[in-house]
Amino acid sequence: MSAAAGDARPAYLDNAATTAVDPRVVRRMAECLTAEGDFGNPASAGHVFGERAAQLVEAARRQVADAAGARAADVVFTSGATEADNLAIFGVAELRREEGRHLVTVRTEHKAVLDPCRALERRGWRVTYLVPDGDGILDPRRVAEALRPDTVLVSVMHVNNEIGTVQDVAGIARACALHGRAWLHVDAAQSVGKCGLSFERDGIHLMSLSAHKAHGPKGVGALILARARGVLVEPRELGGGQELGLRSGTLATHQIVGMGEACALATAEGAADTARIAGLAERLWRGLEALGGVWRNGDPARSVPHIVNLSFEGVEGESLLAAVRPHLAVSTGSACASAIGEPSYVLRALGRSERLAESSLRFSLGRFTTREEVERGIAVVSAAVIRLRRIAGTSGCAGACA
Amino acid sequence: MRLNDATRRYFEDPPCVGELAGPGVCRGAAGSREAGTWVQFDLRLVPGSTDRIECARFLAYGCPHTIAAAAWVAQQAPGRLLRQGFPEDVHRLRERFEAPIEKLGRLLTVEDAWLAAAAAVPA
Repeated sequence: MSAAAGDARPAYLDNAATTAVDPRVVRRMAECLTAEGDFGNPASAGHVFGERAAQLVEAARRQVADAAGARAADVVFTSGATEADNLAIFGVAELRREEGRHLVTVRTEHKAVLDPCRALERRGWRVTYLVPDGDGILDPRRVAEALRPDTVLVSVMHVNNEIGTVQDVAGIARACALHGRAWLHVDAAQSVGKCGLSFERDGIHLMSLSAHKAHGPKGVGALILARARGVLVEPRELGGGQELGLRSGTLATHQIVGMGEACALATAEGAADTARIAGLAERLWRGLEALGGVWRNGDPARSVPHIVNLSFEGVEGESLLAAVRPHLAVSTGSACASAIGEPSYVLRALGRSERLAESSLRFSLGRFTTREEVERGIAVVSAAVIRLRRIAGTSGCAGACA
Repeated sequence: MRLNDATRRYFEDPPCVGELAGPGVCRGAAGSREAGTWVQFDLRLVPGSTDRIECARFLAYGCPHTIAAAAWVAQQAPGRLLRQGFPEDVHRLRERFEAPIEKLGRLLTVEDAWLAAAAAVPA
């Protein structure tokens, strides 16, 4: 992105928050917006405009399904992964409320999963919150132990959005299959283009996807349901019956086409992107590790390379972010961006101290991240940490004062 | 996280960072790094005086407002008398740096550190 953006802009290392839309995706989307293009309503089956739009939506559905290892008929488009997560959790809970009222999830899930679980608890559901190990990995045996006769849903994130760890969703799916009643929902918002997804092969029941984490547009995502295996949800939006009656509302053709194209590019180029990003991530880690007193959060051997989450000893988190902010777009470990932010609940769940959790930065790389941006990131963060440690009188504490 | 010009200036390039040693230096600290805010002041008195400050240095672990406030306070020290107390009312200090009200406690830590240093005057 650096060439187009110019040197005055901060280096963008926050691709886990969102990515720039690939120009090839933009072109496909633009073709669906103007009077000369395919702007029709896909539900307007009575004329060629609607017919053409419907064809594009179905083509995109196949592209999304291919990226997820799923059947096209099982893809339901939504406004994003948050809506997909909500539809999965509330939709299954509503549909299966007579069969059982127990859910299993993980403390390090995204709020789009945790908040619906909390809402269900307020309605009398029981939720078991599992804690991963210190590297962020959840042993499938822990899931098996948590399953009860009344468990109807397990919700586990595939790629963690803060630390990048990849869960063994196939193993967790096997635990659910042995249980026989619990469906597995996987939030795979961060997964497209980063690591392989195999919805059908792994026996996953529901999966949430997002477009904008993979160089697609914001405002579109998908929920995949294993309908052939009897998986359904109770709809939350009524009126029109689109998307098999599971998600009513006029389909946003341009968004869906954009998501399809982004998924197709991820399928075709994801492996090459990942290999290049792995080299950049390694350089970033080695460059910052040299500071001393730097902790890497999550097991890199079981993580996507796109996300590097580091804790810096001897510096206060808000000051660290303020120092790098003019030059670098990164995320803090904080769940809250307010003046008095809470330390990341994900890092706290992994056993990091409040201070270390607070002094964490998440660097996330994407298709357009350049070597120059990574070098700038190393230089900016190194200078900030050295300066803040000098001000704090903690320069000599690296490795000893967490 | 919006920082006003004064905060950004004193946070990005704080004057008076460091420690002092030797006769006539009084040191005081408040807060703790574990709790997220810690400030230390070293005040050197004019030789022969038990009241007039020659110079000050500070260390601070904390948010940008904490660092900026501590740096500004240390900068005001030369020529002040210990008995004049903290260089600025802490509410005025908060206004100067436009710190959110939730951070008043952190600025009080800066004041506490100053007062602790002032109370440590060598006999």
